[in-house]
Amino acid sequence: MTARLNARSTDPHAPPAAARGLANQTNPMGQGIDLQRVTKTYSRGGETLRVLDELDLAMEAGHFYALMGPSGSGKTTLLNLIGALDSPDSGHVVVGGEDISRLGRGELADWRAANVGFVFQGFNLIPVLSALENVSLPLALTPLSRSQRRERAEYALELVGLADRMSHRPRQLSGGQEQRCAIARAIVTDPAFLLADEPTGDLDRESADQVLELLRRLNSDLGKTILMVTHDPHAAESAQRVVQLDKGRLLGVTDRAEAAH
Amino acid sequence: MDLARLVWRNLGRRKLRTTLTMASLVVAFFLLCTLRSLVTTLQSGADAASASRLIVQSAVSLFVDLPQSYQSKIATVEGIEHMSKWQWFGGYYQEPRNRFAQFAVDPEETLTIYPEMQVIDGSVEDFYANRRGVLIGEGLVEQFGWKVGDTVPILPELFPHPDGVGVAWEFQVAAVYRPTQRNFDAKMFMFHWDYFEDTVKAGSGEAPGVGTYILKLAQGVEPTSVMASVDALFENGPQRVQATSESEFQKQFVTMFGNVPFFVSTIGGGVLIAILLAVINTMLMAGREQTHDIGIMKALGFSDGDVVRVLAQQSLLICVLGGALGIGLAKLAEPGIADAVGAMFGGYEVKRGTMLFGAALTVALGVFAGFAPAWRAARLQTVDALASKD
Repeated sequence: MTARLNARSTDPHAPPAAARGLANQTNPMGQGIDLQRVTKTYSRGGETLRVLDELDLAMEAGHFYALMGPSGSGKTTLLNLIGALDSPDSGHVVVGGEDISRLGRGELADWRAANVGFVFQGFNLIPVLSALENVSLPLALTPLSRSQRRERAEYALELVGLADRMSHRPRQLSGGQEQRCAIARAIVTDPAFLLADEPTGDLDRESADQVLELLRRLNSDLGKTILMVTHDPHAAESAQRVVQLDKGRLLGVTDRAEAAH
Repeated sequence: MDLARLVWRNLGRRKLRTTLTMASLVVAFFLLCTLRSLVTTLQSGADAASASRLIVQSAVSLFVDLPQSYQSKIATVEGIEHMSKWQWFGGYYQEPRNRFAQFAVDPEETLTIYPEMQVIDGSVEDFYANRRGVLIGEGLVEQFGWKVGDTVPILPELFPHPDGVGVAWEFQVAAVYRPTQRNFDAKMFMFHWDYFEDTVKAGSGEAPGVGTYILKLAQGVEPTSVMASVDALFENGPQRVQATSESEFQKQFVTMFGNVPFFVSTIGGGVLIAILLAVINTMLMAGREQTHDIGIMKALGFSDGDVVRVLAQQSLLICVLGGALGIGLAKLAEPGIADAVGAMFGGYEVKRGTMLFGAALTVALGVFAGFAPAWRAARLQTVDALASKD
């Protein structure tokens, strides 16, 4: 995968990713993610669970973060709040300079479409659509023409090494291929932020390494800000910084390069 | 990739269920259009009736004959231009299933009263001149292959032949008419009153009664005053009559079979409600199955309105496709059904209005059936939808 991305970026005849519309939005307004006293609770069986407890956290744009912590520590909830899939009970979630905790349902949908790409543990591809159709689905929300959408989706699939699997349905792909297809879908609209929830959780080691390498390249080559929830220390090694959560509170943020010294 | 393709692909997600739902829609809309066409055919007979024609029958029942002597009395009422005796003969050709409307009539008067009958084969003169001559509708030519000059035996059920029971009356085809209006019966069989009366007399010794008198009013004459005058003539007997407009007579004739329009409409309504429930059930199941996909769409940035449109379009597409096939099938089956029910529902036709009504119903059904799953999808929280299992 690395070789393929490098080949793309060094091929003098191939258009650069930016020209194909996949590396334009790298650092909107020069700002990353800022969570201010964010609280989120859930009610389960009459009991109120405080999943995030007045969390303060700042993450810089253009970096690759791993969110780690035990089950129930609030990692996925945090990712959902940053991705505007859910709303906090209190506090502010500011992403790319926009306080998304103040946005309404419709505005949040528009914001997601423009700014965030999701990669899920279970891939979450639509089973009745081919790989190419899955990847081009988010482009239906853009003003691009049909041919432009197709061209861009094909390029995204080429980028993740699935040029020969475009017409395959998800069930005709391996787990690793499905996840790479999901990554292609996540980047096809050129979002500034990629949010990945246990992206290697359902994959074998080889496929997991391919996916992690791909995420690293998307961060380093295309400048995407990546937040990856993971339990796996090996996966977390791909990130530049590791955010540790426990019981809805921040334990700390570790810069892996600094820690190595 | 656009959402229309996703809508189409979602229909193929459960092919058997989609096929069965569409098949039930095809059957339902075929039935609806056919039943409605039967009702409109019945009503169109009354609608197409001429305002200047009146029917005089016994006040007791259509099955009670009137004396022939009434003809001269009725003729004295001012405003009546033409009048013909009519008697229902009630026979069949070769087999009891070959029944059609046979009437003994006054030939010249009848053709004057009913300009809707345009002679297309043989001639009016031959019909007038030939005592055994018969004027038939082209529908009978198509059904039995008769042609001008053929001798046609009709086995009687009400008026036995003087030569004995089971002996057929013989008629000769003198002319063939084509209705100038679609809803005018193209399968009538009309023969000379004189031949009818003489034959009946030869057997029973008595002149036959008259089933109905058909009156044609002069232009500008008020029908209600003529009806009142005719009724008044026989108020003191020996037998009271009821003069009605042709339209009213048609309606009464239909109600002889019970309230057919109500009965048929009720069946149609029942079919519609049953199919509505079936389609709602199908769409709810489809909506539930697609909960996870709805979560994916919302996570990708599609709005609540977008997912509502996807589910509503699925419902619309399935209803419109099934409905269109059903309506088309009803139109295709029109000639066959017209032949099968022609004796009772002459001029059966699946009209444009019926097809448009069916088309409007398919859209309404699609919108209504898609509403519940679409509403549910719109209200779904993205994280909840994503957490659902396929």
